[in-house]
Amino acid sequence: MNRTLLLKSLRDLRNAWAQTLALIFIVALGIASYIALVSAYRDLGASYQHTYEQLKFADVTFAVQGAPALVATEIEQVSGVTAVAPRLVIDTGFERADGEQIRARIIGVPPDDQPAVNQVLVEDGRYLTSDDIRAVLLESHFAKVYGIKPGDTITPIINGEKITLTVAGVVASPEYLIVSPSRQEIFPSVRTFAVLFMAMPELQTLTGREGEVNEFAVLVDENRDREEVISEITAVLAPYNLETTIRQEDQPSNATLRLDLEGYREIAFLMPGLILLVAAASVYVMLGRLIRAQQPQIGLMKSLGYSNTAVLAHYLTFSLLIGIVGSVLGVIGGLVLTRGITSAYANELGIPLVQTRLHPDLFVSGVLLSLFFAILAGLGPARTSARMAPAIAMRLDPATALSDGHKSWLERWLQLPLSFRLPLRNVFRVRRRSFSTGLGIVFSFILVLMSWGMIDSMNGLLRRNFEEIEQWDVVAVFDTPQTEALVDKVAGWEGVQEVEPLIQLPATIRTDSKDEDVLLTAVSPAQTMHIFQFSDSLTPEAALANDQVVLATTLANKLGLQTGDTVILDTPFGEHKFTLSGVSDEFSGTVAYISLEQAHQIANMPMPVYNGLYLKVDPAKERMIKRDLYHLPGAASVQLKSDTRADIESLMGLFYLFMGIMMAFALGMSFALLFNAMTVNVLERERELATMRAIGTQNGRIVRLLTLENIILWAVTLLPGLISGTWVAQQMGQAFSSELFSLQITISPLSYLLTALGILVTMLLAAIPAIRRVNRLNLAEATKVLT
Amino acid sequence: MNAPLIECRQVKRFYQMGEVTVQALRGLDLCVDSGEFIVLLGPSGSGKTTTLNLIGGLDRPTEGQIVVAGEDITRYTEKQLTDYRRRKIGFVFQFFNLIPSLTAVENVEFALTLTEQNGRNLRRKAVALLDLVGLADRADHFPSQLSGGEQQRVAIARALANHPPILLCDEPTGNLDAGTGQQVLQVIRELNQQEGTTVVLVTHNTAIAPMADRVVRLRDGQIDHIEVNERPLSVAELAW
Repeated sequence: MNRTLLLKSLRDLRNAWAQTLALIFIVALGIASYIALVSAYRDLGASYQHTYEQLKFADVTFAVQGAPALVATEIEQVSGVTAVAPRLVIDTGFERADGEQIRARIIGVPPDDQPAVNQVLVEDGRYLTSDDIRAVLLESHFAKVYGIKPGDTITPIINGEKITLTVAGVVASPEYLIVSPSRQEIFPSVRTFAVLFMAMPELQTLTGREGEVNEFAVLVDENRDREEVISEITAVLAPYNLETTIRQEDQPSNATLRLDLEGYREIAFLMPGLILLVAAASVYVMLGRLIRAQQPQIGLMKSLGYSNTAVLAHYLTFSLLIGIVGSVLGVIGGLVLTRGITSAYANELGIPLVQTRLHPDLFVSGVLLSLFFAILAGLGPARTSARMAPAIAMRLDPATALSDGHKSWLERWLQLPLSFRLPLRNVFRVRRRSFSTGLGIVFSFILVLMSWGMIDSMNGLLRRNFEEIEQWDVVAVFDTPQTEALVDKVAGWEGVQEVEPLIQLPATIRTDSKDEDVLLTAVSPAQTMHIFQFSDSLTPEAALANDQVVLATTLANKLGLQTGDTVILDTPFGEHKFTLSGVSDEFSGTVAYISLEQAHQIANMPMPVYNGLYLKVDPAKERMIKRDLYHLPGAASVQLKSDTRADIESLMGLFYLFMGIMMAFALGMSFALLFNAMTVNVLERERELATMRAIGTQNGRIVRLLTLENIILWAVTLLPGLISGTWVAQQMGQAFSSELFSLQITISPLSYLLTALGILVTMLLAAIPAIRRVNRLNLAEATKVLT
Repeated sequence: MNAPLIECRQVKRFYQMGEVTVQALRGLDLCVDSGEFIVLLGPSGSGKTTTLNLIGGLDRPTEGQIVVAGEDITRYTEKQLTDYRRRKIGFVFQFFNLIPSLTAVENVEFALTLTEQNGRNLRRKAVALLDLVGLADRADHFPSQLSGGEQQRVAIARALANHPPILLCDEPTGNLDAGTGQQVLQVIRELNQQEGTTVVLVTHNTAIAPMADRVVRLRDGQIDHIEVNERPLSVAELAW
């Protein structure tokens, strides 16, 4: 291309600087969101992996009833084992000074040196030494919640005695990046669950288990078949009552993180993909309009002897310049955002070793994508223009500026006054223009509803779970069987309004081809603490009849089960066959329900016993009741619904962060889209509007006409916008759903209303610069220009 | 002797085009009497359209005064200028400048609504105006369904909607063939003679000049000379 044409391209873009900037902004946003979200996803994965590698996170953990620590030497001899850490792990509890009952897990670690497997990272204070007496390391999540620092004390009950321990250091552990006590309790318990690390000899002494351990954490050579190594170790541990074998992927914290990241993988690709698509479509439409407006110039170029290729190349330069500048800005923006997102997420979840890397492949693919879309966008209109005969392109026939007018059925029907007829006809007059403007509005609906829908649905999901499904205020779980007497006793406490007994057991649910660990909950069909969400008219009495099991929807879908299918429930009391009576659409995806009566039959108990209580209480007394429950013999955990909700909301930090960023992108892009659409819409009719002014129409009337036109356009696109926005949000929700929970997209009417009004207001605001331009038009010139 | 309807006093209009100052008008003095038919003739860049735009209130002079019906319009605010254009001026553009989404009658109605408060008679008045230019039977046609001459006649009807005392025509036949151009000129001439509308018409076409009361020839932003036609020709007599 010659220099003059390049200069022309640059000057043409400069003349339409506001639209050019908006297009660059749209491309930059698309690329920035793509780079930021995909990089953040990769960096988060890398940060976990890096943390795991640095802290030697166990590949497999074997839990036994009890074994001499020296067995570790035998395990080390197994071919493929690269490291073994024997440890003693005990679950206990303590009461904080404010009366809060805390579950505690104390893990024995070697003093002076880090264990060979599952090391800790000291974030504050120091590691344990052999000289320490009654000292512990405290896991950082709990320390942060209560502001506990080195030098503070904790008094857990060990072997029936309260032992005061001084915190020597605050540490991060690869086993507790998300504080999940077990696979059945996947949601974090940072307020009520503390992990402490104590010098092993001291812990063994305090528990009266000198020389004994109950866990072996093992690292396996990655070149070896892990299952073979596991079976050899299983053989070694056979004499010691091997209880569980937990592979790294099933380790509670890691499994939760993995699911968490999997959910974001979909979003990290889908959302930027959609934004890029919207950006490409917008560039296509806007660039097309920009090039079509230059039709007479194209005719002139061709009449001077420029070839079709030269004309094509000239107009593709428009696209390329926008693509290049947009992608460069997008890459820079993406880089800045990536660091922000990764740091915010790492900080939110307490990932100790954060890794942020440059991802050149993303930069290259980002730039290539943007150029591809920009060229694609420019190619259509540029080719059409280049193929046009010069005489036709240049012909200053007023008829070429006229579009067919027609009366719509609406105005025939409504007998509208002229002030309404004109804007109404303008909407339907140049269908291509209205279609592209409408498309911009629909895209805006999609972008806003996509992120808003996700946020709304998550809020709705939590609200529904905690306000409609779970009617209890406190749930207590005991590690020893309890009788009706306890139910009656607790029911008589001050502030307790209602009590329902339940049984909770870890279980595995099996089909012919799949199995899943679940928390099996047995409740009375008549209870009112947990409200089942059946899609049909199924009653709890029918659903929890004999040999009937109810599953959460997500779990049933994951196992590919339909109502009426048969499953096997493997409980601590043996295997039992059940028929799936119904699926309950609820938050948690790892629960199964049977009736209390059925549970008693399975356990073959001579009398009704329970290991849990649902309570409805006076909110003012819930803390006191919680403390009293903890003081009951055998109390293992007591959870307040309010705390659980706060903890889950905290786990959703990344979700809200991602969605917040997407929302910001959506709003920014919507404004740019609407600004361009509105501006071009007005600029393409400059002469017409100038004529109105020339014959004496006041600016106010022109503003009213244009505003009414925009409102009609908005009204026309409202339904398609809302429908397509909801549909896209639903796809996002599906992508985000995991086995942890199911996210059904439900957008509240208020959100729809606010989105619709927000877009209308944005449209009207975006039209202001164009209207101001019309009001400042040089009438003498504008009435002569043929547009 | 009556005061002229339009009086341009030492009107100058300069345009800044980058570093170059273009002197479109260099001190124009021109008086137009009420009911007069004036043709402004001159080569491109002579200042004829600038003169028309200044009289019509589409532009403001750099220096000088333009007095219309005794009022100095150069002192007008934007709002006053809008009102002036609405009540005193009718424009006829070379490219007709009809609103494509409105039918012929609606284009006229659109202008009528600027001054008429009574909406009920709008259509009747608009049709009457179209009848004046011979287009009553095409009232419900959209501009795209009309020929160039018909479009220009609709534009004239629109220009007359508010009974302006002054009709400003910028190359009204510039985009029309000879026959159609003559029809349009006939309408303008009749308005001038029957309604007493003052007409200022800008054209390149010297063949039109004999139909005017006076022909003002412009050159380099100044009046070169003025010819008075003692007996203006009818449109039919023009040697087109």
